[in-house]
Amino acid sequence: MTAISPLETVHKKGLFGDHHKKNENDLLKISEVKDLTIVQVVQYKRSKINLNSIQIDGLDFPLQSPKVSSNKETRILWSAPNTWLVISRKERIIKTVKEKCNSDNFAITDISHSRAIIQIKGFQAKDLLKKGCPLNFNELGNNNCAGTVFHGINIVIDFVDKDPDTFNLLTLRSFGESFYHHITDAALEFGYVGV
Amino acid sequence: MLEIKCPYCGKRSQNEFSYGGDASLKRPQLEKEISDKDWDDFVYFRSNPRGKHSELWHHVAGCRQWFKVLRNTATHEIFKTAKINEEL
Amino acid sequence: MDQNFRIDKAGYINRNKKISFKFNGKKYFGYEGDTLASALLANGIHLVGRSFKYHRPRGFIGAGVDEPNAQVQLYKGAKTEPNAVATLVELVEGLEATSQNCWPSVSFDFGAINNLLNKFFPAGFYYKTFMWPKNFWYKIYEPIIRRAAGLGVAPLKPDPDRYEHIFEHCDLLVAGSGPSGLASALAAAKNGARVILAEDKSRFGGSLLTDEVTIGNKKGKDWADDTITQLKSMPNVIVKNRSQVFGYYDHNMLVMNERTKDHIKDPHKFTPRQKLWYIRAKEVIISTGSIERPLVFGNNDRPGIMLASAAKEYMKVYGVLVGKKPIIFTNNDSAYDTAIEFKKNGIDPLVIDVRANSESSAIKEAKNLNINIKFSHGVINTKGYLRVSSATIGKLNSNKSSYESLENVSCDCICVSGNWTPTVHLSSQSGNKLKFDEKTDAFIPSQSRQNETTVGSANGIFSLKQSLDEGFNKGYELSNKITGKNSKSTTPTSNEKKYGSHEKFWCMPLPKNKNYKRFVDFQNDVAVSDVELAVREGFRSIEHVKRYTTLGMATDQGKTSNLNGLQLVSNIEDKIVPEVGHTTFRPPYTPVTIGAIVGREVGKYYRPTRKSPMHLWHEKNNAVFVDAGLWLRPRYYKQGKETLFEASKREATNVRNNVGICDVTSLGKIDIKGPDTAEFLNRVYTNAWMKLPVGKARYGVMLREDGIVFDDGTTTRISENHFHMTTTTAQAVNVLAHLEYYLQVVWPELDVNVLSTTEQWAGVALAGPNSRNLLSKLFPEIDVSNESLPFMGYKEGSLFGVPARIFRISFSGELAYEINVESGYGIFMWEKIIELGKEMNLEPYGTEALSTLRIEMGHVAGSEIDGRVISSDLSLEGMLSKKKDFIGKRSLNREAFLNPNREKIVGVVPLDKKTMIPEGSYLVKDSNATLPNPKLGHISASCWSVEYNNPFSLAILKDGKKKIGEKLFALSPLKNKNIEVEIVSSHYVDPKGERVRS
Repeated sequence: MTAISPLETVHKKGLFGDHHKKNENDLLKISEVKDLTIVQVVQYKRSKINLNSIQIDGLDFPLQSPKVSSNKETRILWSAPNTWLVISRKERIIKTVKEKCNSDNFAITDISHSRAIIQIKGFQAKDLLKKGCPLNFNELGNNNCAGTVFHGINIVIDFVDKDPDTFNLLTLRSFGESFYHHITDAALEFGYVGV
Repeated sequence: MLEIKCPYCGKRSQNEFSYGGDASLKRPQLEKEISDKDWDDFVYFRSNPRGKHSELWHHVAGCRQWFKVLRNTATHEIFKTAKINEEL
Repeated sequence: MDQNFRIDKAGYINRNKKISFKFNGKKYFGYEGDTLASALLANGIHLVGRSFKYHRPRGFIGAGVDEPNAQVQLYKGAKTEPNAVATLVELVEGLEATSQNCWPSVSFDFGAINNLLNKFFPAGFYYKTFMWPKNFWYKIYEPIIRRAAGLGVAPLKPDPDRYEHIFEHCDLLVAGSGPSGLASALAAAKNGARVILAEDKSRFGGSLLTDEVTIGNKKGKDWADDTITQLKSMPNVIVKNRSQVFGYYDHNMLVMNERTKDHIKDPHKFTPRQKLWYIRAKEVIISTGSIERPLVFGNNDRPGIMLASAAKEYMKVYGVLVGKKPIIFTNNDSAYDTAIEFKKNGIDPLVIDVRANSESSAIKEAKNLNINIKFSHGVINTKGYLRVSSATIGKLNSNKSSYESLENVSCDCICVSGNWTPTVHLSSQSGNKLKFDEKTDAFIPSQSRQNETTVGSANGIFSLKQSLDEGFNKGYELSNKITGKNSKSTTPTSNEKKYGSHEKFWCMPLPKNKNYKRFVDFQNDVAVSDVELAVREGFRSIEHVKRYTTLGMATDQGKTSNLNGLQLVSNIEDKIVPEVGHTTFRPPYTPVTIGAIVGREVGKYYRPTRKSPMHLWHEKNNAVFVDAGLWLRPRYYKQGKETLFEASKREATNVRNNVGICDVTSLGKIDIKGPDTAEFLNRVYTNAWMKLPVGKARYGVMLREDGIVFDDGTTTRISENHFHMTTTTAQAVNVLAHLEYYLQVVWPELDVNVLSTTEQWAGVALAGPNSRNLLSKLFPEIDVSNESLPFMGYKEGSLFGVPARIFRISFSGELAYEINVESGYGIFMWEKIIELGKEMNLEPYGTEALSTLRIEMGHVAGSEIDGRVISSDLSLEGMLSKKKDFIGKRSLNREAFLNPNREKIVGVVPLDKKTMIPEGSYLVKDSNATLPNPKLGHISASCWSVEYNNPFSLAILKDGKKKIGEKLFALSPLKNKNIEVEIVSSHYVDPKGERVRS
């Protein structure tokens, strides 16, 4: 039984906006990121465990905003004091997290189904985000994340790659269609390809 | 639109936050006797200064932490922000 | 075609691109780079509109934002725009403009009768007339005034254009690209700062476009162009033209409106028409220049009378002569540049100077060109109805109070200059306390409240050399402060004319026995006599004078009238100007179209919507949706031609008799974990939680600290330190914030984590006598008998391979269960249930049926928990624990809360068993009593009881429990209803609660 992704009936493939007379390779690429496992990990206040002693998929827990620890499959985002989002392609990651972080010291909650995730990729990506998000993008570097708003919708921005700039944008599942509309609408001026 | 320095996330725009009232409020202890007057003061009475006001803000779109802000209610100038367990 | 007033080889327009446009239905030609104003002037047209109150013929006064008169209606239909200022409209092929506020035409306007009756329309006449007889107001006066008022016509169709927003951050924002602005931007950019340079006009350079100066051996404009090229090549600089910074807000946020599309004939489809930039700048340089002051004299508002600097700009930038017989009327040296420019183009101007003499280089140059100058003279009055044709000039006596001689001079334009008003709007908006500068005779910035600096003529500095110095120094200083770098640029040398001082005399006295109207505010038709009247009637504060006379309140915001008005008041009151003060500067600097402010939050997406994972199924099955906060929930599922009433009755009946399924995903779910969770719940809820067994759910009520009921829900203990809390849809967000507040601020010693999981789980309610049957089909491997899964029980299981949570809880009051699966499987779950439920006649039900079911059961919801009631009002006093303290408990001792006569929840049934009682109706003892009729209570929720087949309502009624059995009246003046009712128990159906436990 495969789960239905949040944007399955919403995301459209193809060329859109002012894409004419532009090289298709240069166009902004918009896609839905599916099948990621997302786990909230919170270290309890009275826990005496030293965080340095724990690695998830070889990654350390980042200790402050806006840091992200990452490898090709897994990313650990700083979310709040003693709170992280572990986001991974590996389905087994939940098991790993529960083994490494025992329930006496950590609160672990699977929220994989609660988010709709859109990826935008291209040199226009930051400009697109600036149309709806008041964050200072001059100070957001690669492998940084930030919880903020886009056109009034709460999102988490995960800067996953450069050359070209690539962002994973997470929002609550129920907002998915509204969020997708605002992202694609902001991309019309540049022209984009839905992949 | 104010710019508020969340002690955890740095400077962010006002629309990521929600205002939380007077920071000097100390909730009386549970199970402890308290006079009607003192309880009413806690529930209802607030000072309404024209000038520096220490208040709480909630970073709802970000780290979801409550923190303290010292703000001038007439000019909006923000002097300082601090974590809940720190002094302003 | 004609363009008889175009000068050959002059200006910065593109003569290779001819553009056709229409004005008042007639076709004309101009060039690319023209504004509508310059193109009309090139065709000899000065008369463009009629003034607001008196309908006097009016023409152009300025060449930019200073223009108060030339407002036109652009285009037609959805694109039409009223009050467009012709001096700001860029000429584009196909432009169509018409005059406003005149009928049948601008040259023959019936409205001009107002001018003949002007004695009856002085300032403040609104407050003194149209008062009697009283009933004439609605029928006669108001309709006439409404038709006559206003300038342009608002469009009746939605704005067809796209507008977008941009949030940008920079080190330095420079507003204005005159010499001081360019200098600042260049110096800062070269020193590594991130710079945004904003220029309102299409051309950069400000005064360098019109002044005869050189900078570093280049002509002023060439230096400007080179600087812009340099800035545009730097990666740390954003250069924007057609972009006006119109407002300065808190914490150095400024908003800039970029006009992206209006000047382009066939733009790209998705290019927005305008972009609104929200710029957060670490430092701001305000280099907004200054605006020329008009002189005030008799009939100084005729078409053809304009600012001297505007006349100069039309010649130098657009290559247009504003007249061929000009008078230059001035109290300072700068206007002589206009006279010189006329002379250079073969026209002989006459200069009227109120000063006795002046020896500056500008005057010397004028004299060398044999320009006719009359010192100690002033223009007193003018003639020429649709265009100025002559002026009466007079020789002023020694103290400038009267005239020694008068003469008439023919002319076709009068170019006036009363000196300059620094443009301090942004500075003042930022909180800067301005000060009055004696030398400039105007307000300039003084004490900053935010990180802003004003340079150039906006700061009262009118010398080019000083402006450049100031600009380069400030640009370096501010960038060094931010970047710490030390790359200092040298200020280039410059050459400019030397100007002397001006005479502080700008209002011509009236000759004996003459009553000419001397205008101060052109757009609102405010004259000297109006200001004098206001002061005579006792208005002293400049804010009062402004509002009484409407001086400075028009769409030009008094750019050419505020200072004159202020000085007039101070002269009359015999005070100095700073004592009189100035009115508050408010954004926007010039009008901004509302579409730009709204941006893309239009139409369907004006606010976000939240949809459940099963939304598409609801849509396909004829669900009619209702807004529940941001959520879209099915209200009912329409079969055939059903009405809301019929559908909800059918759905609710099916639940009572059979089984129904409802999408309850939107209700808040909060996952709570941690060693102190049970203790925390104990403090938050009114009832006890420590001993709740694992695998059991409990109904909970939360109070605010003032004792008022905040929210209710069902919370389940999944394991020792793991709870699943539910909340109402409406309060989900607030409850989470409430819990976080108490955990972070009040009881940080508690070790608990709260996390919203509303979206992680799709939720359905299965309700009705057949729900257990259906449940057993869904979970064939689980024992779902009454013993194994009792009321308030919890189990986990697999729904055909999908992990599921089963809660035996009931909102409807029937035997019911709530099933949660992870959202991605929501549709699978829903469709499985529909499939397996077919043989049982399972039907989906929406919020309307859901309401019906809970109302007739007497279960409280948001309409009862309205922020005014306490637990005992809702018959929930049994849930108030006596053993432990909790949030809000202490408030319950208040006298008003202990009053036995407080409102209580009851049921209400109409005696005729037919009439639905409108929600919000008042309950009274005697419906015929005279007002005020004591209100005993109100109806909180109404439904059609499917159990009893009659209307039933819940109400909050004073002393409710004791009134059961009594007859009262339900009154709704809004819906014109007066219904006799009987009070019954709120638990109309199944009062013992047997069904949920079956």
